[in-house]
Amino acid sequence: MNASTASFTPPLGAEPKDWIALLKPRVCSLVVFTGAIGLVIAPGHINPFLALVAICCIALGAGAAGAINMWYDADIDALMRRTAKRPLPAGRIEPGGVLGLGLVLSVFSVLLLAMATNLVAAGALAFSIFYYAVIYTMWLKRRTPQNIVIGGGAGAFPPIIGWASVTGHIGLLPVLLFAIVFFWTPPHFWSLSLYAATDYEKAGVPMLPVVKGAKHTRLNVLAYSLLLLPLSISPWLLGLTGRIYGLTALVVSAVFAVLCFGVFADRQDEAGVSLTGDKPARRAFKFSLLYLVLLFTAVAVDRLV
Amino acid sequence: MTRDHLERAPSRDDPDRMPRTELGKAQWTDEQRIEFLRRRKARNWLLFAALAVFCVMIYGIAIIKLHEYGQMW
Repeated sequence: MNASTASFTPPLGAEPKDWIALLKPRVCSLVVFTGAIGLVIAPGHINPFLALVAICCIALGAGAAGAINMWYDADIDALMRRTAKRPLPAGRIEPGGVLGLGLVLSVFSVLLLAMATNLVAAGALAFSIFYYAVIYTMWLKRRTPQNIVIGGGAGAFPPIIGWASVTGHIGLLPVLLFAIVFFWTPPHFWSLSLYAATDYEKAGVPMLPVVKGAKHTRLNVLAYSLLLLPLSISPWLLGLTGRIYGLTALVVSAVFAVLCFGVFADRQDEAGVSLTGDKPARRAFKFSLLYLVLLFTAVAVDRLV
Repeated sequence: MTRDHLERAPSRDDPDRMPRTELGKAQWTDEQRIEFLRRRKARNWLLFAALAVFCVMIYGIAIIKLHEYGQMW
């Protein structure tokens, strides 16, 4: 037996939870939620089993895009504390396996959705996977500090896919919900990046706080939260939803704007670096998650009541 | 595989042979071997479950589409 085979200790292999982690289950849960709401509020009827399959396809598609993202970003994930323990940078799964999983699930989810519902929904899902994996991950993320502004579109597709699954077309209400998620993404991510900026800097990802500084980022967080205020109530103003949604949107958007103002007015040094451990930014980030849940729940309740 | 292929197949001692996970040959402790088997079994069950769900979905879609619309597409 030669030396190379004698010293060979094969890896133990990945745990099932590692494969599941590749699908970014936490991101998927939000995507499934907004997709399901799109499905619930759409006019018309869909068989409950087909609705369940549609939601599974949205989750699988989002997971597939997440796996491709992890495959492409393995080099920078290894440099960031938040992502270094992911299965690929930690060496528990081979890159080829991750890419394979992403591609296979992408194809399966789109075909299955086409089979269960219609080509419009399947097309929207295919485009959202392409948007996240190629436009955001491969093109924008490492090139521009506006990466998450444009890339935010990827996470905004599920209400459109859900709606199209039932109706076979894309209406104004899901487009407005798309716009709300689109404009929600920047204050959500930039709040996080304010206290994770060193990680992004180490990895060379041009997030706004790294390129333009914390002060500029704080201003942008506030600006986008103010834009979100009229946008979030627009479905009510246009008569597409009722009072329940309108009042909920008004209250939660106002609270979010106040929290974002707290991020802007946080005690900081001349460079805009927080002197409070970025407490307001952490608070705004946490509330941003709740914001979307409350807003979308209100649309569904409004439609069902 | 033909006899010719078998004759040309790399031997176990061939330095160019790709390392493979062989339970009998791996430089593992007993605990590592047990852990490897546990993980492989868990992965196989996960794959089985995923394929089973996929089959149920296709079957369900086919039944519902054919019953409600009279056609698949």
